[in-house]
Amino acid sequence: MNERLALAAIAALTLLSLWLAPWSALNRETGARSAVLLLPNRIVDFTDRTTPVQVPGQGAVLVLSVIALAGVAAASALRERPRRVLWLVAGALLVGTSVWGLGRFAEAVDLQRLLSVRDDVASAIERPRPTFDLEVLQALVDAPEELTIEEMVARAREGGLIIRRLPYTGAALGPAAFLCLVTGAFALLFGARLVKPLNRPLDRALAGVAVPAVSILLALAAAAVVILALQPTPRASGFEIEGWLMALTGRLDTLWFAYYTLFADSLGTVRGFADSLSFATPLIFTGLAVGLGFRAGLFNIGAPGQMVLGAIFAMLAGLYLPGPTWLVLPLSVAAAALGGGLWGALPGWLKARFGANEVINTILLNFVAASLLLFLLSSNPTFAAPALRVIQLLAVVVGVMVVALLVPKLRGVMKLRPRLVFALVGVALLVGATIVSQPRPGDSPYVLNLPFRMPGSEPKSFELQHTARLPRLPAVFGIDLRETPGTNVVPVDVALPAALLLGLVALVAANRWKRPERYAARVGSAALVTLLAYAGLTALGWREAPLAIPPSNLNPSFLIAMAAAVFVHYFLFRTRFGYELRASGLSPRAAEYGGANLRQNIVMAMAISGALAGLTASHYVLGGALEDYALRQSIPTNDGFDGIAVALLGGNSPVGIVLAAFLFGVLKNGGSLLNITFSNLTRDVVSMILALVVLFIAAKGFLPERFTNPLRRAKALGDLPAEAVRDEPRHDAREGPEEGRG
Amino acid sequence: METVVLLTLLASALRAATPLLLAALGGLFSERSGVVNIALEGIMLFGALTAALVTYYVELPFVREATGARVWYAPWVGLLAAMIVGALVAGVHAVVSIRYKADQIISAVAINLMAIGVPAVILTGLFGNSTTSGTITNRLPMWSLGPFTFSPLVYLAFALVPVVWFVVFRTPFGLRLRAVGEHPAAADSVGISVTGMRYAGVMLSGVLAALGGAYLSIGAFNQFITEMSGGRGFIALAALIFGKWHPLGVLGATLLFGAFQALETQLGGSALLPPTVVQSLPFILTMLVLAGFVGRAVAPKAIGKPFTKS
Repeated sequence: MNERLALAAIAALTLLSLWLAPWSALNRETGARSAVLLLPNRIVDFTDRTTPVQVPGQGAVLVLSVIALAGVAAASALRERPRRVLWLVAGALLVGTSVWGLGRFAEAVDLQRLLSVRDDVASAIERPRPTFDLEVLQALVDAPEELTIEEMVARAREGGLIIRRLPYTGAALGPAAFLCLVTGAFALLFGARLVKPLNRPLDRALAGVAVPAVSILLALAAAAVVILALQPTPRASGFEIEGWLMALTGRLDTLWFAYYTLFADSLGTVRGFADSLSFATPLIFTGLAVGLGFRAGLFNIGAPGQMVLGAIFAMLAGLYLPGPTWLVLPLSVAAAALGGGLWGALPGWLKARFGANEVINTILLNFVAASLLLFLLSSNPTFAAPALRVIQLLAVVVGVMVVALLVPKLRGVMKLRPRLVFALVGVALLVGATIVSQPRPGDSPYVLNLPFRMPGSEPKSFELQHTARLPRLPAVFGIDLRETPGTNVVPVDVALPAALLLGLVALVAANRWKRPERYAARVGSAALVTLLAYAGLTALGWREAPLAIPPSNLNPSFLIAMAAAVFVHYFLFRTRFGYELRASGLSPRAAEYGGANLRQNIVMAMAISGALAGLTASHYVLGGALEDYALRQSIPTNDGFDGIAVALLGGNSPVGIVLAAFLFGVLKNGGSLLNITFSNLTRDVVSMILALVVLFIAAKGFLPERFTNPLRRAKALGDLPAEAVRDEPRHDAREGPEEGRG
Repeated sequence: METVVLLTLLASALRAATPLLLAALGGLFSERSGVVNIALEGIMLFGALTAALVTYYVELPFVREATGARVWYAPWVGLLAAMIVGALVAGVHAVVSIRYKADQIISAVAINLMAIGVPAVILTGLFGNSTTSGTITNRLPMWSLGPFTFSPLVYLAFALVPVVWFVVFRTPFGLRLRAVGEHPAAADSVGISVTGMRYAGVMLSGVLAALGGAYLSIGAFNQFITEMSGGRGFIALAALIFGKWHPLGVLGATLLFGAFQALETQLGGSALLPPTVVQSLPFILTMLVLAGFVGRAVAPKAIGKPFTKS
């Protein structure tokens, strides 16, 4: 097995990183300048003004890490059993050492921050101002160790001194410490195979995530090249880089901090987490749209256009539907789905009826939708009178044709000689157009005044009625950001959501254990668990827990997205029609033989797919995620393309799509921070990473077939007898009812 | 008066058709060999970007010394670089979809997505804004024909039509290319390298599509703008289908689309229709064409299917 080689290689790399790469970052300043700590206690200060921090115990961390890494590497030479034991021991040692070392580091930095703030206070006391309460401040100077940094700042404010900039911000682990943790985790993972019952599930999980994980790693590695090429090492002006080691440290830290920026805010702060969920919401919708299409053997690249149509419909419903909120809001959401669904059904119908390729048609419809949006929101579109007459003529002719197609008798005539009819209509149209397009006296241009367009230079609609708005996160909890900006701490009833979550878990568990026919019993037991949990939590006094609510654009459309994911899962895997769709996707011929109506399925699949994409309007229009509750031309339709990456990464399964969308939400949130943090990097780096993920997943991560071919994988895992696998070329799944694309 | 208007319209139709024709002729090589190439759009963008950047940096030392300095070879170097980059980008599509047997459409979509993200990243690094490159002084020259002047690429595009026809239908290379696209197993059995021919077809399509892109940035304009191809790659693909994968058909189809775009430019000047309406007309026309209202086409048989040698 080459797991030995892989672990030995990672261990060697980590060993190298302990010598060369920053172990942790002491301090970060605006402009991404940093002071980094290399083991043992070597500090490279690119900011030029960080007071060095002595971290005790670094020598021990270094020695223990090296011993553990040597153990991991050496274990590769041993026989099966001792090897796994050694991996377990060394892995545990490595993780333990790194965590302990990081803990000491954090303590040392905290202490340094306290001391630094105390120095600030002390120097302020020497030059007192009338607002100062010197007693309070002096107490701070005397006994700083007993306080946390937040308490210290708060006390200083009580004493009349406002400390604006905290020193040593952004202290965090560096690439070397991170690699130590990763190597330790891998050693533990492979060592755990000592326990036989764990082997199969571990293998299965590894094989399942191999392609997406490798693709993401490759994409991040490719992005590393770009980041290093574009972003010079941020450093204080006048700072001279001496020697290759310092240069290398700077490069590694720049790269590391770029990645850290991409991930840390979303995963480490409440606000960032909420923002990344907000970024993920539309991606869940478009990912589901594309994924559902893939399952049905259709490639829906038209999600951007369907998003636009959904947004237009939602805007119209939200502006003009009368009635109370409980009626208008669901109807507006439904309108969004309807708009997207119709726009999706059109290429589906063209494929089912004429065999026109849905890939190109959906792409073309994206352009048409973009023009339509601009047309509706641009100021006063003007038609010259002759042009208007031509359009009217065209509308009349198309109307007549449609009516003729609907009347059976006329339809028969047209079917007899379709080409002749088309030619005649075409010539008539040309002649008619020539006649009506002659300028007439008294012609004046027709200016279209669209009532929903906001006057002004900005292309946007009026804001929706209040009855059609989904409240943003702070508003859900009754916070008015205009009165109390920033993060608010409010008491929240956590018992109900917790109880509902427990009920859901109980339902899933019951589905595993109970026999399928006892449907009522499963739901009943889940409901019972929910009630009991609610009663128990209420009794424990969990009704009002203080929660920090960040000012985020996250809104209930996230819940709609989750509901959509559940719906798609249920639809695809639990209904007859969903089964038919998947069968048509895998093998259209076999599905047709089995009684599936391919044409109807294509139209329906595209309509549902489009409806899912249209639902993004619940986030962007009804949810007010773009500044205000209005339809704007700047609606980010690229989310539709990103949905392709989401669906591919999520393996076209709703659970995978939600997880992939969250990952991309994190990346997008991080991307917007790249703009702020670095001088030469923008969020476009993230869109490049997404494109690369698509490319690498298409190439199956360049992995050997053992991981990628389902049959081979099953054989390698021991799920199939060896003779069941032959090297047959797999048949291409994507074939429409009519071959070709003309 | 009328004739002058018509001739002007015709000339601008020829200019508008040029990038479409180049890309569609490129697509012809790829699709005749059995590889769908939706990546034309992305390759055009990469070609446009490369041409603009290389021209910009070749002329930069001269332009620094004297504003507006003529450096006759700068755009040609840019053109050459665009062709190389086009071949490389198409090569990525080829490797992923031929060697790794990826879904050809997904691989191409990835390249199109990259053509949105990568130029923005590069432009930010070089020029500090993510949408436009620096303007170049030395565009491709204009060669006159009667009262009109055209870029050399216009002449090249139309001259390529008979050349492509000859290569595809009258040379051993063309025969093999078509054989590989129609029945790869049969071609393989008589000793033709299926993967080799497909690599050649896809890379050729990259070279031609990149020329089309270069025409946009250094032929018809003087800088690169993100997403400046505006769907021309997709329209070229539609023209390829409309033209039934035949050079002459492709010529007709691209001329039709070119005429439409020229009309759009002419109409855009007068206040006849809102520009947004005119913009969407070529796309609607293309959809009507694809739906078979204007004739049907039969694709190369093995198109879109990876070949596994048995």
